[in-house]
Amino acid sequence: MKRRQITLADGRYLIFYTFDDEMPAPASAQEGGAVEQQQRREPPVETEREEKPRV
Amino acid sequence: MSELRWNPLLGEWLATATHRQQRTFLPPADFCPLCPTRAGGFPTEIPESTYDIVSFENKFPSLRSHPEPPAIESTELYPVRPSEGVCEVVVYTPNHTSSLAAEPVEQIDKLVRVWTDRFRELGALAFVRYVFIFENKGEAIGVTLHHPHGQIYAYPFVPPRLARELEQSKAHHEQKGRCLLCDVLAEERQISRRIVAENESFTAFIPFFARWPYETHVYSRRHFQALTDMTRDEQKNLASMLKTVLAAFDLLFNLSFPYMMVMHQRPVDGGAYDYYHFHIEFYPPLRSANRLKYLAGSETGAGMFINDTLPEEKAAELRSHVAPAVWKGEGR
Repeated sequence: MKRRQITLADGRYLIFYTFDDEMPAPASAQEGGAVEQQQRREPPVETEREEKPRV
Repeated sequence: MSELRWNPLLGEWLATATHRQQRTFLPPADFCPLCPTRAGGFPTEIPESTYDIVSFENKFPSLRSHPEPPAIESTELYPVRPSEGVCEVVVYTPNHTSSLAAEPVEQIDKLVRVWTDRFRELGALAFVRYVFIFENKGEAIGVTLHHPHGQIYAYPFVPPRLARELEQSKAHHEQKGRCLLCDVLAEERQISRRIVAENESFTAFIPFFARWPYETHVYSRRHFQALTDMTRDEQKNLASMLKTVLAAFDLLFNLSFPYMMVMHQRPVDGGAYDYYHFHIEFYPPLRSANRLKYLAGSETGAGMFINDTLPEEKAAELRSHVAPAVWKGEGR
């Protein structure tokens, strides 16, 4: 599982979750007024990360 | 305008959120804010042309990570505090006309993993004490958007119903030395009449004490407290069990069955909750194809539910529609 966080025009965060290669490549994050990874608000997260293996 | 107000009669917080009066109410499909934003089309909440699963801060939240100060002052009798917390919307699929029940089990498995990530991340926030994952489905429940989605509330306190369940669980553990929900599960499995479905990791049943005609609980077979405690196999088995129960719901009356789905996990306040037990509860409001169970005087004013049906009979009815979830490549 991978995640990509963007900041919407009004400051809210939105996280896209994708899984392996099942998801088509995302379109431009600028569509619809999103500003990718600017003015990130809580909760802080990595831009993109792999799911950690479980113990 | 939003704030938390203390109810001294019940000893619990409630939220005012007057801005929620303005939220989008049952828009036509062409203007659904949870659909992808198509080229040249209506700009939705999700600014991309497709997605798999997304989670984002609710545009009309009851709780905010940076809340405004309360609009009214506290008194000794009536404490007031900022409505601190987080409200997220989790969109299950880009398909507007789908539902969690209609999604393939693989998509539900993805959702379980997203829920786990959200629980972990929101639970790590300093001001959050409880992460509540839920879904309201259907106009009978009062949904304002039909697009398949759920919600997450990250509360700055343990909500009262959860607090009561935790107290009961703790008292039982102190008295008997055993988990209350493990004992409930053992008794339900031993009696078996109220069991709806079962797999290696989860059991679904309509409990002895069901308040709603088709109230269905999904308990983990293994004793653990939260999504983050699950193995990968348990994640998949939870997806299978949810698919099985939701598909059976839809077959009951051949309609897209309305329900509230709530997930009960340990609080995230740093306390020790080893005595508690992860589970999911469904509260469907229908008592027949076209009749609703209303929360009337006794339920709302006194807190005593009156169930017009017998869980044993309703479990048999639901069980007759159960089919195992089928994963891609498994076949039947």
